[in-house]
Amino acid sequence: MKSHLLTAFLLLFCLAQTGDGGVLFSSLPQTLVVTASIKQGQVLIAGEDSITLTWGLNQSFVGRTDESYKEVKVKLCYAPISQVDRKWRKTVNDLSKDKTCQFIMVNKPYQKLDQSFKWSVEKEVPTGTYFVRAYAYDSAGEEVAYGQNSDAKKSSNLFEVQGISGRHLSLDVASVCFSAFALVSLIGFFLVENNKKKRSTDN
Amino acid sequence: PTPKDTDMELPNAATNSGDKKFALPVDSENKATEFRIYSAAAPHMRAFHLSWVSFFACFVSTFAAPPLLPIIRDNLNLTSTDIGNAGIAAVTGAVFARITMGTACDLFGPRLASAALILLTAPAVFCSAMANSPVSFLLVRFFTGFSLATFVSTQFWMSSMFSAPVVGTANGVAGGWGNLGGGATQLIMPLVFSLIRDIGVTKFTAWRIAFSIPALFQTLSAFAIFFLGQDLPDGNYSRLQKSGDKHKDNFKQVLYHAVTNYRGWILALTYGYCFGVELTVDNIIAQYFYDRFNVSLHTAGIIAASFGLANLFSRPGGGLLSDVVAKKFGMRGRLWTLWIVQMLGGLFCILLGKVGSLGVSVAVMLIFSVFVQAACGLTFGVVPFVSRRSLGVISGMTGGGGNVGAVLTQVIFFRGSRYSAETGITLMGVMIICCTLPLLFIFFPQWGGLFCGPSSKGITEEEYYMSEWNSTEKDKGFHKASLKFAHNSRSERGKKVDSALTPSNETPPTHV
Repeated sequence: MKSHLLTAFLLLFCLAQTGDGGVLFSSLPQTLVVTASIKQGQVLIAGEDSITLTWGLNQSFVGRTDESYKEVKVKLCYAPISQVDRKWRKTVNDLSKDKTCQFIMVNKPYQKLDQSFKWSVEKEVPTGTYFVRAYAYDSAGEEVAYGQNSDAKKSSNLFEVQGISGRHLSLDVASVCFSAFALVSLIGFFLVENNKKKRSTDN
Repeated sequence: PTPKDTDMELPNAATNSGDKKFALPVDSENKATEFRIYSAAAPHMRAFHLSWVSFFACFVSTFAAPPLLPIIRDNLNLTSTDIGNAGIAAVTGAVFARITMGTACDLFGPRLASAALILLTAPAVFCSAMANSPVSFLLVRFFTGFSLATFVSTQFWMSSMFSAPVVGTANGVAGGWGNLGGGATQLIMPLVFSLIRDIGVTKFTAWRIAFSIPALFQTLSAFAIFFLGQDLPDGNYSRLQKSGDKHKDNFKQVLYHAVTNYRGWILALTYGYCFGVELTVDNIIAQYFYDRFNVSLHTAGIIAASFGLANLFSRPGGGLLSDVVAKKFGMRGRLWTLWIVQMLGGLFCILLGKVGSLGVSVAVMLIFSVFVQAACGLTFGVVPFVSRRSLGVISGMTGGGGNVGAVLTQVIFFRGSRYSAETGITLMGVMIICCTLPLLFIFFPQWGGLFCGPSSKGITEEEYYMSEWNSTEKDKGFHKASLKFAHNSRSERGKKVDSALTPSNETPPTHV
């Protein structure tokens, strides 16, 4: 019995394995140019404001650099300050595990000419500091190039988004009312019990 | 004391006039000698169902936030440290609340004590919908967590309603099915959240509305306890104290005898590393699977739920195993089984942090959950024998120690970004093993310990339990209940017991 347990234990231990990797970010050439129409220190309100994005091939790359580019996804990415002490937004070189860019702003087929898009900040974008990055994908759906509006250290051209609170007055009122009801009921319970006690001593 | 027919007016008239008739067979204390799980007969089985359902509701509320953390952390802009602190706060309140609850049960009875605590913590759950910062989030989790002290009232109520042969089972099932709430909530909350989201509510509002479900459930359970419940088979405390049927023990003496019994402290520590670990895992496991294996919120909830749902059979199983082993090997068997099971729990915990594939991880987690929860049940197979006079406070200390373990573990391993979650889990497993070793030091002079047999001085059960009473108290006859219990506890010697045990001599508990 004990040896079976040990064997099973060792077998489970050996079965521990890690997953396969994806495209590495460090292997991607920065051939795209991305700009976002933001002012220095601007705070965008989720659900209200919008910005204009433009992206396209960097004209200094001549020839057939972009032959494999089939699709472009422009993504909203967390700046380092919004990643501090938040492992679920961690930057990892392996793009299949990378959590830096969690929101797709635009998804369009690749075109030779520069493209632009007016993106409204969605209601559900959380509060944080962001930059914009575009990935170019080949026909297999894998990343082959990128571009971003910030510098390599992700410290310039950042913008803030102020997310919605999610609170509503009606919800707050309901919470307070129900809480009061619970407390009043408790007082009621004690009064009822005291009455019963008094009545039993009178008997 | 036999019930007086003349002044007995039970709030639930489940009896005929004249002779009292209960639906279940009872002993001389009117405590049930059978545990019929499908019955809801008043007062015994009804008390069982009321206590486990309300404890379940408190668990659902206390762990309602973790499965929704991927949403909440973005809404409130929380960091790992904020999340860790809130998780610690959630289990901190109950450390002292559990110890206090034992006293409250003695003074007011489990019915009023638990209904009061549940209603006092319900506002924290309702107001979770208003949290808008890391601080307010921490505060609502802190105050909601106090409700976990209903564990003590559950065990106290079961010990009042069920006699010795079935009290272990009643306690184990009530505790285990209550703990189920920690698992069920991982399913309920994501489900409620997605239903609300489907009707078009934005996700940062949907999670807030979702909290109304555990809040309402908790409030309703308090009402049910107050109107349908009863402290003792013979009636409620207020009535029985007036008629003099219940003697009130000296609180200072009870506290003294609990605090000076080293076994209580050791069990408090080891319970911190089975139940405390269970609470910690309830807090971190959904996020762990969501972040490490990239599963959906829904899937992470299901996996996390299965951890807590194992309580359906694993904790009761532990209690049952303790009783079964004790028949042949007595208290030494109970201690050995507890030690082995909890050590294995630690080993599987170490393994859980190491496995990198989803399927194997879930399998290891399930095995780990069974061992850790069985250890909880096994612990409360030993606790009733540590002290007879101070059972309530010892239970409260052990229960509180469980929460201390949860606090410590989360502070050391799951706060901020020092350790990745998987490293934290492995290190937690190492800590389980280290903190289970003190069990080796538990020694009952009348029965022995893990490595020693009973004391050569021939100390009897009576001597052990009588040492809790001084001569003045013995003159007044307060010790008689402990004496009966001591005689019945001879079964803890194991198979070598040849003295006839009188099963009808059930122990009236000295309510502590």
